[in-house]
Amino acid sequence: MTAGALLLPIALPAIAGVACFLVPDRARRAKEVVAILAAAATVVVAVLLRGGEVRLSYPWAPEWGIDFSFRAYGLSSFIVLAASLFALAVALYSWSFMEGKGRLRQYYAYLLLTLAQVNGAALADNLAVMLIFWESLLLTLYGMIAMGARGSGEGAPGTARRGAAQTAVKAFAIAGVTDLCMTLGIVILWKEAGTLDMSGLRASGEGLGGLAFVLLMIGAISKAGSMPFHSWIPDAAQDAPLAFMAYVPAALEKLLGIYFLSRIVLDFYAVEPGSWLSLLLMIVGAATILLAVLMALVQKEYKKLLSYHAISQVGYMILGIGTCVPAGMVGGIFHMINHAIYKSGLFLTAGAVERQAGTTSLEKLGGLARKMPVTFACFLVTAASISGVPPFNGFFSKELVYDGALERGWIFYAAAWLGSVLTAASFLKLGHAAYFGKSPHGAAAVREAPAPMLVPMIAIAGFCVLFGLGNALPIDGIIAPIVASAGYIHEGVAGLAGAGGAASFAGEFSGWPRNPFLVGMTLAALALAALNHAYGARRSGSGLGAADHIHYAPGLRSVYAAAEKGVLDPYNIGMRLMLWFAAACRAVDRAIDWFYDKAVVEAVRLTSAGFCRLHSGSHARYILWSLAGILALMAWMATA
Amino acid sequence: MIAYFVLAPLAVLLILNIPRGRLGRNAPFPTAVALAALEAAAAILLPAELASAPSVLLRPIGFSFAADRLSLLLVLTIGIVSLASLGVGYGTTAKGEDLRRFANLVILAIAGMNGIVLATDLFTLYVFLEVVAVVSYILIVSKRDRDSLEGAFKYLVLSVVASLMMLSSIALFLLTAGDVSFQAVADSIAASGSLWQNLVACGLFAGGLCIKSGLVPFHGWLPDAYTAAPPGVSVLLAGIVTKSTGVYSLMRLSSSVFGYAFNIGPALTLIGLVTIVFGAFGAMGQKDIKRMLAYSSLCQVGYIFLGLGTGTALGFAAAASHLFNHAMFKTQLFVNASAIERQTGSRHLDELGALARDMPITGWTSVVAFLSAAAIPPLAGFWSKLLSIIALWQAGNVPVAVAAIFTGLLTMVYFLLFQRKIFFGKSVARERPVKEAPFCMVAPAVALAAITLGVGLLFPLTFDTIILPIAAIP
Repeated sequence: MTAGALLLPIALPAIAGVACFLVPDRARRAKEVVAILAAAATVVVAVLLRGGEVRLSYPWAPEWGIDFSFRAYGLSSFIVLAASLFALAVALYSWSFMEGKGRLRQYYAYLLLTLAQVNGAALADNLAVMLIFWESLLLTLYGMIAMGARGSGEGAPGTARRGAAQTAVKAFAIAGVTDLCMTLGIVILWKEAGTLDMSGLRASGEGLGGLAFVLLMIGAISKAGSMPFHSWIPDAAQDAPLAFMAYVPAALEKLLGIYFLSRIVLDFYAVEPGSWLSLLLMIVGAATILLAVLMALVQKEYKKLLSYHAISQVGYMILGIGTCVPAGMVGGIFHMINHAIYKSGLFLTAGAVERQAGTTSLEKLGGLARKMPVTFACFLVTAASISGVPPFNGFFSKELVYDGALERGWIFYAAAWLGSVLTAASFLKLGHAAYFGKSPHGAAAVREAPAPMLVPMIAIAGFCVLFGLGNALPIDGIIAPIVASAGYIHEGVAGLAGAGGAASFAGEFSGWPRNPFLVGMTLAALALAALNHAYGARRSGSGLGAADHIHYAPGLRSVYAAAEKGVLDPYNIGMRLMLWFAAACRAVDRAIDWFYDKAVVEAVRLTSAGFCRLHSGSHARYILWSLAGILALMAWMATA
Repeated sequence: MIAYFVLAPLAVLLILNIPRGRLGRNAPFPTAVALAALEAAAAILLPAELASAPSVLLRPIGFSFAADRLSLLLVLTIGIVSLASLGVGYGTTAKGEDLRRFANLVILAIAGMNGIVLATDLFTLYVFLEVVAVVSYILIVSKRDRDSLEGAFKYLVLSVVASLMMLSSIALFLLTAGDVSFQAVADSIAASGSLWQNLVACGLFAGGLCIKSGLVPFHGWLPDAYTAAPPGVSVLLAGIVTKSTGVYSLMRLSSSVFGYAFNIGPALTLIGLVTIVFGAFGAMGQKDIKRMLAYSSLCQVGYIFLGLGTGTALGFAAAASHLFNHAMFKTQLFVNASAIERQTGSRHLDELGALARDMPITGWTSVVAFLSAAAIPPLAGFWSKLLSIIALWQAGNVPVAVAAIFTGLLTMVYFLLFQRKIFFGKSVARERPVKEAPFCMVAPAVALAAITLGVGLLFPLTFDTIILPIAAIP
């Protein structure tokens, strides 16, 4: 590959995106063909890029250390490949999914432009360049949501229904604020490390460097959709086109966010396991796992439930990377890949259900397993994968994360394990409610989804199996070398003493998990989830109500109610603070107005009235004034 | 020959009043107009000749007169303001006996004021101050109602106090200096230093003149007298009588005679500042146009003393310059107020409104005057206030300079309040339509507005030809 080819994964989709935008809506198939071909071409380029490390650099503002530089190496070229594959899958899927929906020009343009931006951000080797691509994602994110194909648009009970435009603003505001944090972090890092060159950048977590780390971390994990920057995702699940959900929050943003997080942790800061940076990441990860999965558990809407899992699973990645021990880091990055695969697969099944059954509200769904067997099979594989059922890919990445977490502290492992129980429980509930049980009235005509939608789903389910059984392929081929090149895997890792070179860790992390205790615990978790589901389903009489005993448990009930009203949504809290601030500003403004309009005028008026009152008209008083004046004057003169 | 400025009006007065015939009935008003016009013309056309011709009358008691640039500026002002006053008087006084008496008294007032501004000894000054004071009582009371009687009475009482002080002061100076000519007294003060008699004499004379000028706290008579006087008289009083009897005399004495001895400069600055603040706040509370103008007069006189108090040449020139400008715009505002009173029958703020439509000339000329009073460039009032503030700054009296700038805002406030309400505010229901004032009142307003504009626009010229020579006097 020549260095110039580095620009192709950015330029190809960008040009195709602009072309899609220019083609009128009537020529629908033309746009789709262009989108699919562009995505396919990008996949080809990405595959070719996998050959090795390629660099490209043009001087741009060299006096500030800003070069227009790109670098394809193991991780970044993998991100590009994965993003392109998802784009291809979603483009194929949209062939049928977007039938009869408007604004296709914008849809395909945003789809391809997002790919170009993600590729650009992943390939950039200069923080300034990366920031440009990263920030520009705001625009397509906003546009995608604001397009406002509202899907079935049925909100969860008690949730205020928002328009697509409002959700778009919300996403824009949250992403804008966190991007600002990241920009600030980059500026501080620039001052601290003295360079913006990503390959050569090293910083310490002391003082300002620590602040920069936190700011950069906020940018990265909010892009990945972690708590507390997640709150736009469940809203978007209801307002944005479903394919967008599968594509952006579930796949591309996870890839990019976790990619950047691993760059920060592994490369820029080379965080040591004992440092506070590591601890911070693990706390954020564990909290995200638990809080989001608790929210996911009680959702009664297919897409919304998935979107909370999209948040919860980020917790595993952050936790894994945050452990800063080899197994955890490998697991975290592997989980990123796996999650992108199964979560976009799950969203695609949701899209298929929405298209065929006309709704994604679990209350109106049921018995789909027989009517949509292929979709159900794909759901089964991806749900098993996310729940950590062996031998699917999610199981292996979670085991690695558990391994790392347990090494750093049982509490983190406990949180991750509990998260697994609840994840499995919520997917049991989802599958039960949507695919089994009674079919609702008027659902007799529901048929299997068309082939262009099934093909991507099947392909994704295939990857779930492939990366599960053949986990050596991604782990030994991509992930372990990345972690190793950052210096985390070195001599002394169990079983590797003395062995050198790339092959030395082959098989160390791949294959069946080493720790039988962890495997046992995972199986126990799955069993517990199944028991819980059985209990809940019998208690409530349906699959849908399987989590009600947790939802309405004493103590949790009010917390859930508050959460569903959006009381805990940081966006709402921020907006409320803004309103208070605005009110305070207004009060200050009123006070200033009052000072000028009332206080000054009144003071002048009173002074004036007082002076006037002194003039009683009595000439005796005036003579006294004069005499007093003369005495005072002469006294003054006498002092001279 | 300079004595003719006093003798000629007196002679004319005798001629007009001795034979009781047609001449005595019809001639006084035109004669007064001619006299005032002649006076203004002489000050403009013959400055050099007048300045070089001192004269002494009635030796050995001696009434001595001389003219310098400051005196001539005052002579010019006397002429202009008297003309305006006569115009307003013609428009507002019943033809016949009233107008005749008014004209005669104005002639006498001109003689008296000329005597004041040309005097070169304290006794002459005192005599003519008394002449003007007596004429003023009669003029104020000529409306013969309760208010004017009260106003005149207060003026009379406080003037008597002032006279008493000045007479005592003259007696003391006679003791210490042996003579009462300005030169002799100045020499005596300079030579004998801090002699207590001199201190008391200076204080008494300055205090008396403060009463005449209406400076706070010596001002008690002023608002009542200005307000109660008939229109033509208030124009004369506000425009020139107070300025010549009080302000001019105090300027002359404190600079040329007292030589700013006994720390009198800072005292004048302080009194000026107090007067400004007091006048401004007083003006704001008023509902009667003339009363408001009276308080605003206090305020403007205060500015004159700010400059004078610095004791520098520039401060002196600034004071003289503001004296002239103030005389112009304040005369004009009183002319405008008289026109409004004549045409609408009211001077009360609440009964007036939107007059600019019906009385455009009055309205717009008063805008010029008020902008000048509020020191808006490029009008005359701006330059003289600027000179005062520069003088203060140069004298190191920065706090007072800053205070003067801020009190200028107060001036702005009350003028804006009045101007907007009377000329541009909501119109007020009236029984009969309001028309523009007659020519005899509009002409002075236009002429005075033109002077205010001209002096302001041609400031470089007026500065070189008038103000700088005056700065050389003390």
